[in-house]
This record gives sequence, structure tokens and C-alpha cells, in this order.
Amino acid sequence: MIAKMFNWVNDRLPIVNTFERHLSKHPVPKKVNFWYLFGALATIVLIIQILSGIWLMMPYSNTEEGAFASIEYIMRDVDYGWVIRYMHTTGASLFFAIVYLHMFRGLLYGSYQKPKELVWLFGCTIYLVMMAEGFLGYVLPYGQMSYWGAQVIISLFGAIPYIGESLEVWIRGDYYISGITISRFFALHVVALPLILIALVFLHLVSLHEVGAGNPEGVDIEKFRDEDGVPIDSVPFFPYKVLSALPAMGIFGLVFCVIMFFFPEGGGYFIELANFEEANPLVTPEHIAPVWYYSPFYTMLRAVPDPLGGLIVMAAGVAIFFVVPWLDRSNVASIRYKGVYSKLAITLFVASFITLGYLGTVPVTEIGRIMSVICTFLYFAFFLLMPIYTSFEKTSKVPDRL
Amino acid sequence: MNIKLVGRINLLTLFIAIVSLFIASSLFSAEGGPCKDYGPCDEFQPELNNLESLQRGASIYLNYCYGCHSLQYSRWGRVANDLEIPEDIFIENLVLDTGVKMGDLMVGSMDKELSKEWFGVAPPDLTLVARKRTPEWVYTYLRAFYEDSSKTYGVNNLVYPGAAMPNVLAELQGRQRLTCKDIPIFAANGGEKRDESGNTLTEEKCGYLKVDANSGSLSVDEFDSFIFDLTNFLTYVGEPSRADRERIGTYTIFFFIIFTVLSSLLYREFQKDYH
Repeated sequence: MIAKMFNWVNDRLPIVNTFERHLSKHPVPKKVNFWYLFGALATIVLIIQILSGIWLMMPYSNTEEGAFASIEYIMRDVDYGWVIRYMHTTGASLFFAIVYLHMFRGLLYGSYQKPKELVWLFGCTIYLVMMAEGFLGYVLPYGQMSYWGAQVIISLFGAIPYIGESLEVWIRGDYYISGITISRFFALHVVALPLILIALVFLHLVSLHEVGAGNPEGVDIEKFRDEDGVPIDSVPFFPYKVLSALPAMGIFGLVFCVIMFFFPEGGGYFIELANFEEANPLVTPEHIAPVWYYSPFYTMLRAVPDPLGGLIVMAAGVAIFFVVPWLDRSNVASIRYKGVYSKLAITLFVASFITLGYLGTVPVTEIGRIMSVICTFLYFAFFLLMPIYTSFEKTSKVPDRL
Repeated sequence: MNIKLVGRINLLTLFIAIVSLFIASSLFSAEGGPCKDYGPCDEFQPELNNLESLQRGASIYLNYCYGCHSLQYSRWGRVANDLEIPEDIFIENLVLDTGVKMGDLMVGSMDKELSKEWFGVAPPDLTLVARKRTPEWVYTYLRAFYEDSSKTYGVNNLVYPGAAMPNVLAELQGRQRLTCKDIPIFAANGGEKRDESGNTLTEEKCGYLKVDANSGSLSVDEFDSFIFDLTNFLTYVGEPSRADRERIGTYTIFFFIIFTVLSSLLYREFQKDYH
């Protein structure tokens, strides 16, 4: 009876086919390392964010008078509202942490090289949408840092010549940040961008399954197949890869819960302390700092004295990820077989990115400003010099098998 | 091959580079701490399961602070319930306003406009003060008032120079003043400097707080513990679910440790299929 019903549905909807193609018969490299787990974890956090977001939306008030108080209402009067809220704030920070590690994996093992360019481009777009999503969400509690952070970010658009000022007004929907701004940011944060995000994640995964997952050796597993046409060095995604992700999820859950239940403010990095005060347009906080995941780009903005120049450098800092597939001229994918210049370059890149991130969270000092200029140069040098150092350096031979 | 070695060296360089950049940048970005002229804030470890301390703190707050500072996000009933104060005792002794219901928010009774006229600024709501400023700051601030005749209310504060608040706890603490004292001079290597005959060299430094003996109704220790209870209560009221949070958190961690162990064993079992 059940089998009959299942067949009836399956004749009309490709359940078995999809399951086999994308799960039980989808070949993935049999030997990968922990860097390959962050994609799965990112999916988990996305689901956490969507679910906790839906429940936060119910008691939240998207008005100028009610926004801040409704957050405290969630924290106090809603049963276990505090769990849901901390889940969402912790999830936001960990989403970025995981995506940064996931992107670093891509750079490390050449996960953008032919034929995976499109996978990479969808990924970069996801990151871009996430940045917008995070910013919009940060404004909603309407604390001091929400207000002043939004003030800084929106005024960036004012630096664009000719249309800048009217663009600012268009974004805010008002001459200053007001209830109108909150309610439109709310609509974008909970409906528009999540829809785009889910669509992009879907495309990211479908294109990945089309071209096949990579591995830390950069070996092409498609070369050697058994008599059924299945790559020898592969295992089916389900159940093997799903099982390998389980312990990772356990460790991730542990980290998540330690933060969420014991350090929800993350030392002021995950929830900034100034945001425990309601937005006050008349009082500027002593020190306006973005949340940690934007701070590398914020430092780039501050490194340039001219506002428009700063905006361009900052935008370029994000945009440059999109062209990486065409900057890397190396004949090998993995850092393991690349030459010494690539290794040096990625080391300096990571060091400069982290330093930029740190500098963005502290007040500007003279030496900090100099360091931010140096690190901005190092950051861009990694990308812009990539065509040179990857084509001239001596690479080692990649083995045939995994 | 030595691929692993190369990887390790690469990681090591990365680590060294990051650490050195961090040290370099943090050296030059030093700024004043949150407790300003006081120096580092005093240590404060909240005791959210110490109901007696929280009850005393609530009573202190409602008697000394609530007249000016509301707790507008907190409800009367929640406080009574969490602190296990029976409702009738709570209403009779602590809720000094007969019109309130237990489900009401603690919105205070002072007129914001009038108070702005009196103090220059309206006394802020303190529901979230311990979260915004940290409990350490609150604990230090409340003990850092000193007499300063140049100010409107005759007091100033080391933690919050120019604070508009009068020292309402002065009769308990007594008269606190800024004094100077001799302290040992330290050499660059961290040791005390001594003169030829072996006596410790000292220099006079100012900016220390000292209470005139017997000028207040509480001793220094009693006053510290009084402020401890008050700060403890403000820590509680800033996040009433914190004790719950830490309790539940312990269970979740326990769960994820077991989950990780079991799933690792399962993973290893399945790995045998292809290794």
C-alpha cells in the first residue's frame, strides 16, 4: 500500500532520481580534510538563522518606538525568547566565521579553478548578500550601535558623486534614520534577502554537484573510473560524507552552545555593549565600530583619507574575490603543489586580513593608520600579483590518484 | 613525502606573522579603560544564585535608586518571583506605589521633564546598565564618588568624571576624598628602587580615594558588600534569565560531547568500508 503510494508520487515527482543523483550515488572524493566540512556547517547555520529568525519575527516590533523595547520583551517576557535571540546573534557571527573559513579553503585548494568558476561566483554572491543581510539585521534592535552603524554605512553612499545624497534619502526612505528605515530594513532582512540567499545556495550546490567536489590534493578523480563509470577514488555522498559531517556538527554544536549559553556577547564582539542602550540620535557613541565580520573592510575604508576613495577601495576589496578564477594562472589547484611564492602570498594575505579586522575594532591611532595602509596593500597585492607569481613559480607534480 | 612538513612550516609562519602583527598593533592602540581616572575597574563576580544578596540588592535599589531611576523593561512580578520574595511582603515593603499591579513594568515615578530641569539630564533607566557598562564598572562607579566643591552637588566621580548624579549613598559611605600617598618607585626591571642604605625609594602620587574614619554609618567593608548586593541585583535585572541560561547551557554541552563521541565512532565504523 505504502509502496504503491510512493510509486504513484515518484512517477510524478523525481524523488528516487534526485535522491540518487544528489545523495546516494553522488560521488565525492574519498579523502578530504577538515577544511571541507565548513560548507555543510554553513548550511546548518543558515537553517538555524531562518528558524530562529521566524520565531524572533513574531514578537518583534518594527517601529521606532517599539523596536528596542520589543527586544527586551523577547529577552524577558517571551518564554525562552532569550534562547532564540542568542541563537540568532551567535548564529550570525558563526555564519560569517564559517563562511570565511570556507572561502579560505577555496583559496587554499584552488576551489575556483576550471570548471568550478560558477560555483565560486555563486559563493561570492552569497557572501555579498550575507553582508547586506547582516547589516540590515544589525539595525533592527535599534540600539545605539544599530543607529550609528547604520548612519555610517548609509552615509557611505553619500560619497558617490551627483547621486549620493538622493541615494541616501532613497535608502533611508526619510531624511534621517527613522521608523520608516526600520520597517523597510525589516522587510528586506526577513523576506527579500533570505529568498535571494536560499536561491543562491541552491544554485551554489547544484552547480557544485554538476562539476564535482574538489579535494586537498587537487587531483582530478574523474580520470580513473571503474567499470560502472564511478570514479575509483570516490565514495557516495550518502551515507559516507553525511557521516563524516556528523562529528563536525557535534563539535560545532559544542562551540555554538558554549558561546550562546556562556558568552552570548562574545566579549562585545558578537553583541556590542553600546547596543544595550536604545538608539539616541542626539548622542554619538565614543567609538563607533562595526561588528567584527565587517571590520577588515571598514579598516580599508578608513585607510583612505578621501570618502569616495575609501568607498571604492572597500568595494574593490569585496569585489576582487569575483575575479580570482581568472587571476590564478597556476597549472595546479592545491597549495600543496604550488610554489613558494603562492605560499608566501597566502600567508601574508591571511595575516593582513586578520590585522585589518583587528584594526577595524579599535579607535584609530597614527601607527594603526599606517598599519592599515600597509595591510590594505598586502591584501590587494595577493590578488593583483596572483597572475604573475602563479605563472612563474615552480610547482610540484600532482599525483594521479587520491 | 614532506608535504606535511611544508604545510606545518607554512602554518607556523602564518601563526608567527599573525601574532607579531597583533602585538605590534595592540601596543599602539592602547586607550583609557572603561573606569577612566580610576584605573582598571575593580573585580566583580556576580552571584546570581545567591538569593539573599539579590533580595538585599533589590531592597537597596527600590529604597535608594528607584525614586529617580526606573527599570522600565523589567516587571514587578518577575523580580518578586525570581528572587522568591512572597508577593504580599514584596508589595507591602518594597513596592512603594500602591497603584501598581504585579504584571506592570517598573517605569518609575519621577517626571522626566522635571528631573531634566533639576539635574540637567533625566536620570537614565538602569535596566540594562550592567550589560552596557559591565557589572565591574557599576561596582567601581558606585564606590568612586569623592568630595569636589567645584561641582554642583559637591561631588565628582573618578570612574565617570563630571557625573551629574549626587552621591545619594554618602551618609552610608561617609566623606570620601582624593588623597596623595607615597608609593615605591619601580625600576624598569620591575624591582623596587632602593637608596644606598637599602631603604625603598618612594614618590608621592595623587588620585587615591580615602574615606574619613567614622564619617559614615557603614564601615568600608560593609559599604563594599552593600554595593556588591546592589550591583548583583543590577546584573540580575539586566538579564534575568542568565542563571537559567548557564544552567541549561551545561546540559547542552554535555549533550554535544556525547553526540560528538558517538558520531565519531559511527563514522570510524563506516570508514572501514573504503580504507
